[in-house]
Amino acid sequence: MVLRDIVFFLAAIGALAGALGVVMLRNPFYSVLSLVGHLLSLAILFLLLSSEFLAAAQLVVYAGAVMVLYVFVVAYIGGADEPLGPAVPAVGAFGPLVAAALCGELFFAFIGSGLEALDSRGAHVSPGFGSPGQIGSLLLRNFLIPFEAASFLLLVAAVGALVLARRRRGIDDEEGGARVDTIGHARAHGSEPAPAEPVAPGVER
Amino acid sequence: MILPLADVPAPHIDYKGLSPLIALVGGTVLVLMAALLRGRFVQRSLLPLLTLGTLGAAMGLSIWVWSPGDHRPIVESALEVDALALSLSLVFYVAGIATVLLAHRSAALSDAGAGEYYTLLLSSVTGMVLLAEAANLITLFVGIELLSIPLYVLCASQVRRRASLEAGLKYLVIGSVGSATLLYGLALIYGAAGTTSFAGIDRALGDTVSLSDPLLLTGIALACAGLAFKASVAPFHQWTPDVYQGAPTPVTAFMAVATKAAAFAIFLRLFDSALLSAQFQWAPALAALATITIVVGNVGAIAQDSLKRMLAWSGVAQAGYILAGVVVGTQKGLEATVFYLLVYLLMNVAAFAVVIARERVSEWGDGMRALEGLGRAAPWLAWPMTIAMLALAGFPATAGFIGKFYLIDAAVDGDYAWLGVVIVAGSMISLVYYLRVVAVMWMGPMEVRLPSLPGRPRTAKPVGGWSPEADAWAQPEVTLVAVACAAATMFFGIWPNPLFDLVADVGTSLASLVG
Repeated sequence: MVLRDIVFFLAAIGALAGALGVVMLRNPFYSVLSLVGHLLSLAILFLLLSSEFLAAAQLVVYAGAVMVLYVFVVAYIGGADEPLGPAVPAVGAFGPLVAAALCGELFFAFIGSGLEALDSRGAHVSPGFGSPGQIGSLLLRNFLIPFEAASFLLLVAAVGALVLARRRRGIDDEEGGARVDTIGHARAHGSEPAPAEPVAPGVER
Repeated sequence: MILPLADVPAPHIDYKGLSPLIALVGGTVLVLMAALLRGRFVQRSLLPLLTLGTLGAAMGLSIWVWSPGDHRPIVESALEVDALALSLSLVFYVAGIATVLLAHRSAALSDAGAGEYYTLLLSSVTGMVLLAEAANLITLFVGIELLSIPLYVLCASQVRRRASLEAGLKYLVIGSVGSATLLYGLALIYGAAGTTSFAGIDRALGDTVSLSDPLLLTGIALACAGLAFKASVAPFHQWTPDVYQGAPTPVTAFMAVATKAAAFAIFLRLFDSALLSAQFQWAPALAALATITIVVGNVGAIAQDSLKRMLAWSGVAQAGYILAGVVVGTQKGLEATVFYLLVYLLMNVAAFAVVIARERVSEWGDGMRALEGLGRAAPWLAWPMTIAMLALAGFPATAGFIGKFYLIDAAVDGDYAWLGVVIVAGSMISLVYYLRVVAVMWMGPMEVRLPSLPGRPRTAKPVGGWSPEADAWAQPEVTLVAVACAAATMFFGIWPNPLFDLVADVGTSLASLVG
């Protein structure tokens, strides 16, 4: 039990420090690394709550796949020496005030409900709770519609990303009149709308 | 190890109730696939027709599914196909159809690619329908994301215009903050109530959960703030004028009516059904928000020169009026809210259609001067705009008057008489900017003097930024939308009984509300 508590406090401190690091560090690359630390600590917390599947998913999906993407983007765009833009004065003065108020409110909310639960054993969970089988059954039964909608959302997001990324190169030479866009056919600025290019293969999945 | 596949019985799916959503998703995929075909006919005619067909089919199916008073959750209580969801779905479909027509000649369409543009539009409509039908917190959140993400891209779809990109980015950043706030709030509500289903939360609030539970209250506050971002309720409205002005105008029209209706659909579902027991906790806060919104929106609109910005501020003010219907938490409030959302669709689409028609030909763009002298030059555009402005201001004999009257009546009935007074005061302020538009159109100076040819005096149509295309029927589909919406606004202002019948069905859809 003592070991459990020690691990809990280590992971909790790690999670808080990681979250603070994301916001406080000036170098975006370190921020991303700090986020990885935060997510790893969260995975340990999930393990302590005996949801092994969630912990594994957290590691594989977030700390693994998503964060690698973040690291790549930050490394690709650079921005290590890019200063974070100056805050608008009026908003800058007002922002911390509102943030502090929200922080206070959340603090009270969690202390209020957390103190009651301190001595108890926490919510009762049935033995199989959080197992892959149960999660699968929930996804395919109770939450079938949100599950399907989320996959549709991914398709739509891919289409959206394509729309935004496709013409990017043409923006800067807008004043130049005729231009060659990324797909490769020339057309004059403001001419008749040309037929849209076929969607890249693989988007329809 | 043998996996126990057999113990997971398939959920019962009511395909009839689900059919509008199936039609929408199927149509979206169809449009996306058809966009692979090149050729002018496919891109210019087939895709819009497919999109219109999809929306039309979904609308037909929604009317087929319609059965008042019946609220049976479908697919394991994920969706609730009741009169509230179906009637607001009609708003989304009509807004979608109007957007397809308005966008037919828009630059954004060719910039983004017709197939992608329509795909995003249809998927946003799908998200709205999902949101309006949501019966648990998870469906709610997925629905709001499915609504928002295509809209972020649509706002930026005119990629060659800096303002459009800026609008898209702004909407993305602020929308994400709103979504995150909402999600946090929903998580806290789940933490307090121990269930994600709206019916379950309603039961838990009356039973095991104390109404002064700080976790619940914080959750409600955060969810309220998140939804206020989407509905552009002050003080979460800052993004609205910039995004409305920057986005391609057909998208702005769609956002103004459909997104607002979707946000209020979920306001009604979450607050007037799941959280109704906590009404004493949230109603004063929402009433205060409504008051701030009405004042800020109406005052902000006065100084605007851009019509799109003016309509954005007016949309903020109107959100305040509609919020009053949510605050009271009665059946009448529900009816008034849905009624107002229906007529808001008509008035706003008419106004935006005229803005689109003028913006394409006038050198003043969407500035107020683009309407100068429109009354004489293009009465087919001037009359719809006039009717829309008068209806938004709440003039008698337009549907806007009846809608506002209904809201005030609901507010007074629900012991929020002072909110009714605020609505009236707000409407009086709003006359300043609505009537200014009417005055510019009908009394605007005639600046262009053409030399008359010998023998035959030449009568020009000197609209601000005169051009041969200033003729209203150069863009028949835009004028058609404007005239149809304005005619409907007048029709329902004089004979509102069909709408009354419709919202009477809606009134019975939330079981928790008393009559």
